[in-house]
Order: sequence, then C-alpha cells, then structure tokens
Amino acid sequence: MGGLARRLSRAVVALDSARPYPVRPAGPGAVHTLGDAMTRPTDALPEPNVDGVETSLGDRAAHALLEYRAGRQHALGELIREATPLLWHTVRAQGVDRQEADDVVQHTWAALVKHANTITEPHAVLKWLLVTARRAAWEAVRKTRDDARRRADLPDDSPDHPASLPAKDPTPDVRVLQDERDRILWGAMARLPKRCEELLRLVSLADRPDYRAISAAIGMPMGSIGSTRGRCLAKLRTILDEQGDFSWTT
Amino acid sequence: MDDLTSDAGVPVPDAYDPGGPPDEVDAAVLARLARITARIDPVPEGLVERSLFAATLAGLEAEVMELAYVEAPLTGVRGDTLGGTGEATPVEARTITFTHESLTVMISLSGAQGGQVRVDGWAVPAGVLSVELHRPGTDPLVVASDVDGRFSFDAVDRGLASLVVRRADEAVAADGGAGAVSTPVIEI
Repeated sequence: MGGLARRLSRAVVALDSARPYPVRPAGPGAVHTLGDAMTRPTDALPEPNVDGVETSLGDRAAHALLEYRAGRQHALGELIREATPLLWHTVRAQGVDRQEADDVVQHTWAALVKHANTITEPHAVLKWLLVTARRAAWEAVRKTRDDARRRADLPDDSPDHPASLPAKDPTPDVRVLQDERDRILWGAMARLPKRCEELLRLVSLADRPDYRAISAAIGMPMGSIGSTRGRCLAKLRTILDEQGDFSWTT
Repeated sequence: MDDLTSDAGVPVPDAYDPGGPPDEVDAAVLARLARITARIDPVPEGLVERSLFAATLAGLEAEVMELAYVEAPLTGVRGDTLGGTGEATPVEARTITFTHESLTVMISLSGAQGGQVRVDGWAVPAGVLSVELHRPGTDPLVVASDVDGRFSFDAVDRGLASLVVRRADEAVAADGGAGAVSTPVIEI
C-alpha cells in the first residue's frame, strides 16, 4: 500500500468515525459506487425472501436501508433500480416536466442516503421516498409557477388570452396507444378523481402488498382494506363496464 | 379513516365485492395500466444510472462546492459553427473553477486520445490533496496532488463526473474542519 493509499485510508477512517453507523467500510478499496455494486459479489445478508415468502417493495426498501447502514450498498443499488420508475411517475403525477422530474428523482435518492441514519422506522422507507419525492415535486411546480408569474408583465385576463399557468398534468401522448382497450383504460383513468388516478397508476407499478404504503404516502389511508380491492379500483371497474363488454383478462 | 368501502356516491355493481379479494380482472387491469404508463411517459434513459451516481456521491458526505466560473475559449467552440478552419472538430476545451470556503479548485479539460478527456487541476491553498474522479457506474479514479496542489487525470471517458477532494493532511482532518468537498456533477 503506497503513501497515497495510506493517507486516503486515514482520511476515510476520520470521516467515518463521526458516524453512528459505518456507512461503508473504511479503507481506500471501499470507495465503490452503487452502480458498481451491481456486479460485485458481496457478503450481504441474504435477501429477505427466505422460505419462499414473497417480499414487497416496502420490505426490500427496509432491507436496503439496513444493509446500507451496515456498510453494504448492493441492496440499495437494487432498490434504486427497482423503485426509480415508481418515483418517476410519482413526481410526474404532480405536473413536473420531464427534465425537472429527472432532477427530483435523483435528489430523492441522494436525500435517502443523507438521511439513512435518521430514518427511525426502516419499514417506512418506501413511504418516506414517496412523500419526499412528492414534496420536492410540489416545490418544483410552485417554483415554476412563481417564475412564470414573474415573467408575465401584466396579468392578462382577456377571454381570448387567459392568463395561463403550466398545465397541472403533462399531456401524455395517447397516440402511442394502438390497442383499443389501452385507450379505453386510459380514458377511464382520466375520469377518476385525481388521487384515485394517481394511486392506481402507482399501485400498478408496484407489488400489491405495497398498496398500503403507496396510498398512505399520497394521503389516502386505506384503513383495513389494504389487502383487498380498493375503492379506486372499484370505481375504475365501474367506468370500464360502462364502456362496453371487453375482456380484460386476455 | 375507513370510509373507503362505504362511499355512497359511488355505484358499485353487484357483480363484484369491493371488499373482497382482488380478482383476475383487477390484476389484468393493473398490469395493463402499468404497461400503458410506461409507454406514455417512459422513465428517461439513464435515470437509474444518474440516481445511482447521485446516491453514491451523497454517501461521500462531502460538502458541495460552488461552480464559480466556466470559461470556454473561442477556439474550443464546436468546430461546425466556426467553419472554414480546415481542421477536424476541435475537442472542447474548458476551464472550470469551483469554490468552497476553505478551498478553490480550478480544472482544465482538454482532448485526449480516443475521444477521452484530459483533466488538469489546481487546488488553492496549495497542499497535498487526495482527488477522486467519480463517474456513474464505475469505481472512482484517485490521484494525489503535488505539494503545489496540482493534479491530473490523463484520459477519462466523457460523461457525468464529480471530483471529490480530501485533505491528505491527517492533522488537519482531525481538526474537524477538513471534511471532503465535492464539485457539482458536471459533464466532461
């Protein structure tokens, strides 16, 4: 080990000693990236799905946090790969444009790492992520609207040129939907209350056991029916039935 | 708050029980919804990699420096806008300065062979520093600066990058005021 490596080693030790948990093993060889951890064999704890018990995304998020606190980053990398789409659509559902949503998602993951040692309940990690992403998204939307207001010289209330704010919803390009049932389903989603629409879209991206965490995170506590079909899904089914007699299972 | 199955305003057909277990239609509709959502508003390419990178950098607990100054000399402007020089597109050369309360770092980016980038850097106040070049999906490159605070990376791939600078001086590090600092993520 050369002089540089020794110096770096000391620096890393010094940095780590102030922490309640060793975030990563001390030593120059320990400065790995999360992405790198994907391909690196680790001595990580076994995945928590022993005995064939299916785990939920929420379980895996909790596992990832505990692993990370113990200095093992592999599970967090896996979580980022798995849950980034969920965060993406959570942020986009708040009306954030794609570029800004990209930043918000990255910042949410960075925030998780920074708060890794202060999140008291590991099983709340998934909810924490969703709530953090939503708040950051609202902040981004608010800032965009403030900027737009500042840019406007005068409010223009004429009926021909109504003062416009950024659309609440980014208009999706429904032309990519070729299948008739896809278009019917998308149209039915648009008729749902906003929070129902968001809930179902996010639930569809996650495992069923995460219904409760997702609904709680977006302010719709599901009470005792987390394991059963929720009201939003029932509403959607009602609308779909009105659209005609389509088979949805084929 | 368990009013979710008793919303009187919502007609629920008799055919299924909203309090019952999810059936195959529920599963099929949700699966289709997931496919539609992914097609209409796809997750941007590389977002996972950028997120992994952001998380890795956050884990370093380095204070982020400010981007103070970017200088792109005219000769470094992309060749297709200059025209008539008869040269191949010149590699963009840039000088970027980052500041932090205790440290200023200036880096100069220039072309290296094979489309890679050479990074020459200079840190003030002078002193031996450990400098890490972090990029998404790969282990960081680590070099030491000389006593004048100069360092270089001969040839690195283009893309997102962040430099992390640590005092190599243990005495200062123990002082508590010498944690690592990192540059914002830049495109090199």
